[in-house]
Amino acid sequence: MPVRVESSAPTQISGADSWQSTPQACTLLSVGQAFSGTQNVSNNQKDEAWRVNVRIQGLDLDHGYLCGTMEALNVPMADTPVVTFWEGEIVDGKNYNFFTGKWQAAPEDDIRHWTKFPSFCPLMNQVEVDGGKSLDLSNYPCIFMRWKEQYFVNVGTDCGLTIAGFYYVCFSCSDGSISGFYYDPNSSPFQKLELKSTNEGRSGFSFSSYELQ
Amino acid sequence: MPTSASSAIPKPSSELVSRLTAADAAVKLKALRDIKNQIIGNRTKKLSFVKLGVVPHVAAILSSTSDPNILVQSAAVLGSFACGVDAGVSAVLDAGAFPRLLRLLADPDPKVVDAGARSLRMVYQSKLAPKYDFLQQENTKFLLSLLNSQNENVTGLGASIIVHSCDTIAEQKALYNGGVLEKLIDLLDGSLSQRDASLESIATIFKNNVEAIAKFMQPGREDCLSYIIELMKDRNPKTRLLACVCLIVIRNSSPCYLQDIGIKMKLIHSLLELLDNPGQVGDEASFVFSTLIAEKEELQKLAFEANAIDTLYNHLQKDQLSPRRFQGILLAFSHLCSKLESCRSRFLSLQVMNIVIDALQHESSDIRIAACTCLRSVSRSIKNLSAGYFMNETVVLPVVRLLHNPSNAVQVAALGAISNIVVDFSTKRSIFIECGGVKELVRLSKSMDLDIRLNALWALRNLMFLANNMYKSGIFMELTASLLASLVCDPEPSIQEHAMALVRNLIDGCEDSIEYAFAEDGIILNTICRQLQSISRDEIGVQGMHVLCNVASGNEFHKERLMKQLFPQGDDVIQSFVVKFLQSDNSQLRIAAVWVIINLSLPSSPRAPDRVTKLQNAGIVSQMKNMVNDPCLDVKLRVRTVLGQLMAFGDGIAL
Repeated sequence: MPVRVESSAPTQISGADSWQSTPQACTLLSVGQAFSGTQNVSNNQKDEAWRVNVRIQGLDLDHGYLCGTMEALNVPMADTPVVTFWEGEIVDGKNYNFFTGKWQAAPEDDIRHWTKFPSFCPLMNQVEVDGGKSLDLSNYPCIFMRWKEQYFVNVGTDCGLTIAGFYYVCFSCSDGSISGFYYDPNSSPFQKLELKSTNEGRSGFSFSSYELQ
Repeated sequence: MPTSASSAIPKPSSELVSRLTAADAAVKLKALRDIKNQIIGNRTKKLSFVKLGVVPHVAAILSSTSDPNILVQSAAVLGSFACGVDAGVSAVLDAGAFPRLLRLLADPDPKVVDAGARSLRMVYQSKLAPKYDFLQQENTKFLLSLLNSQNENVTGLGASIIVHSCDTIAEQKALYNGGVLEKLIDLLDGSLSQRDASLESIATIFKNNVEAIAKFMQPGREDCLSYIIELMKDRNPKTRLLACVCLIVIRNSSPCYLQDIGIKMKLIHSLLELLDNPGQVGDEASFVFSTLIAEKEELQKLAFEANAIDTLYNHLQKDQLSPRRFQGILLAFSHLCSKLESCRSRFLSLQVMNIVIDALQHESSDIRIAACTCLRSVSRSIKNLSAGYFMNETVVLPVVRLLHNPSNAVQVAALGAISNIVVDFSTKRSIFIECGGVKELVRLSKSMDLDIRLNALWALRNLMFLANNMYKSGIFMELTASLLASLVCDPEPSIQEHAMALVRNLIDGCEDSIEYAFAEDGIILNTICRQLQSISRDEIGVQGMHVLCNVASGNEFHKERLMKQLFPQGDDVIQSFVVKFLQSDNSQLRIAAVWVIINLSLPSSPRAPDRVTKLQNAGIVSQMKNMVNDPCLDVKLRVRTVLGQLMAFGDGIAL
């Protein structure tokens, strides 16, 4: 979701080799699944919260990759909902670890954000040693990710909004809820994203799928 | 009245025939030389003489004389007819010249032997040449005698026979057990042509044959491999290309060899440099490059780092590309862009797409197919699909037009690209629908050709993914419930799977969509439940159970209709496939089945208690309890969801 402060462009990182198995697929985090909730635009809880919808569009566990769109519904500066496309890195110890190594995020920034998630605490000691490379997260009930918005889908880059930062994200395999914290050195710290799995008015969960050739 | 040219068999002029059949050797010789001089390098003349029926007369001379000069000239003429023109090869073979040419190899005169070998090499350049049976021991001995010859054309002929005729593991085995491999290794030290012939033959014997390669790699033979590696730097471009071919075959067939990054980089750089060669070697280099990187992400990454995309693009921009070269470069692009987003991103930034889109309309079907393959690869980029990059008229119209192409292979290639392009997150599906794309896909989903039917259905399945109600309604009207039902029970398992996946997408989204499953007296749902009773592969069960899951996510009416499907005979007996899938070794199948139970037992549903009682009586609850520590985390968590929901029903449910 876009915020209102500018920042510099991210750099690239290559994946690290490791023996770990990738996280198991979680049906609540599969392509087509939708989530909705809010993002507090400031760490001050009294401030506005934007309504946010997220849709997963692509998932590639082998490469620790997922992507989708994020729609911010009541952005004060925008006439219409603002939709962005984001790409995610899944922290699997194989492709990515807990240390971001780019996007102006130092290990201390990483730890400061990851520790906001209660489910991260049991991993903390090992992460401080090696970024979590040696952790086996394949059966862990949470999936940690970084989501980085890549472009605006329905508005131009001159919309006065920025997508320079990225989100530290924790997905709960148990109930499909998502928590996240937006990080951008030039924005308000710890803007919190809270999303729940939605079923679009149905009395139950429905799943669709596509397969690329 | 004019008649078609083929309706009458033309006769050679009586003058030419009389000269070819003249008793006077000098006249005959002159006639042969005249023909040879006219047809060398002249395809039109060759075809014209073939049509005139000259070839049988020349072939006849081979068995009617022992004059070395006449034999040499006859063989040369026949070889020339066979060189590069399939109609000429056919004429030579039909005239019975092949065994006569073979006999020349035993002639005492070395010139006759040489002419016979040259001529036969020409024949063996064509796919029409007869297969040589290596499984007969005598034939292998004969082949060895050719390879042992001092004459380069004879050894070259031996190599050509191997390259043309050795296809199976058994044939490869017959050759290396018969000592052919050792001889070919010796020939690596021979002349330039022997070395090239040897490299090509060795590659043929090694292809997909781990045992043959292991023999080659025996201790003490390390020099051979090093020598071939050295040949990648040879002065002669063809030798460099063939050395690459040989090394790639070894790598691809036996992945334990040639794994160091240095060799990989050398292969990539050598092949990219060979593209500079203006002739056949440059044409083939991109095809060989494709065999190196196909399906290998690591090599694609190295090739990307070696600037392969830019290099190929530079060659693509040159004027007067041969069709073969154009095709090869497009295929190389498609392999490069098959897995890595970095490659696709670079490809798209160079505007290669304009060339690919033009190539969709090229007169050569090979190039049209290569363009579709390229488009298919690059459209695997979800980032660009999401941006609607491919869903525009410039791309969609020419590729949809190809669905009318008379060639099945072109249609299949176009459908492959369409399958990806229609995964549209940008709400621009109307472009595809308005140009008649859906009508074409539905038409082709009824094709008798399995590949066409499968790919058309695949595209429809992807088109239906997250489609809004208006599009769904339009697509469903074209498809009809009865066609969908018939695809669900198609004899081919892959069609069943995609048809069920299509239905799954059709009834996802807005709750009203579920009604499609009940159209025409529920023909689709009935057929799916019937098919699930006996599936030939798990993937069908996974898609089928997701259809049931999506139905079960609807309102009370939908849930109750599904319950009737699941309990066809009464209250206590559930369709056996439900329990079978819950107990499957396949976690995908288990999770899909568990989701059906979750949706049917949601505590907020008014009639959930009745359904839960039925599920309990049918043994589903006890099955769920058995799965509480399922090895798959997703299944385990969802089973706990079910058990948590059942708790809400209180004492009636024995947990």
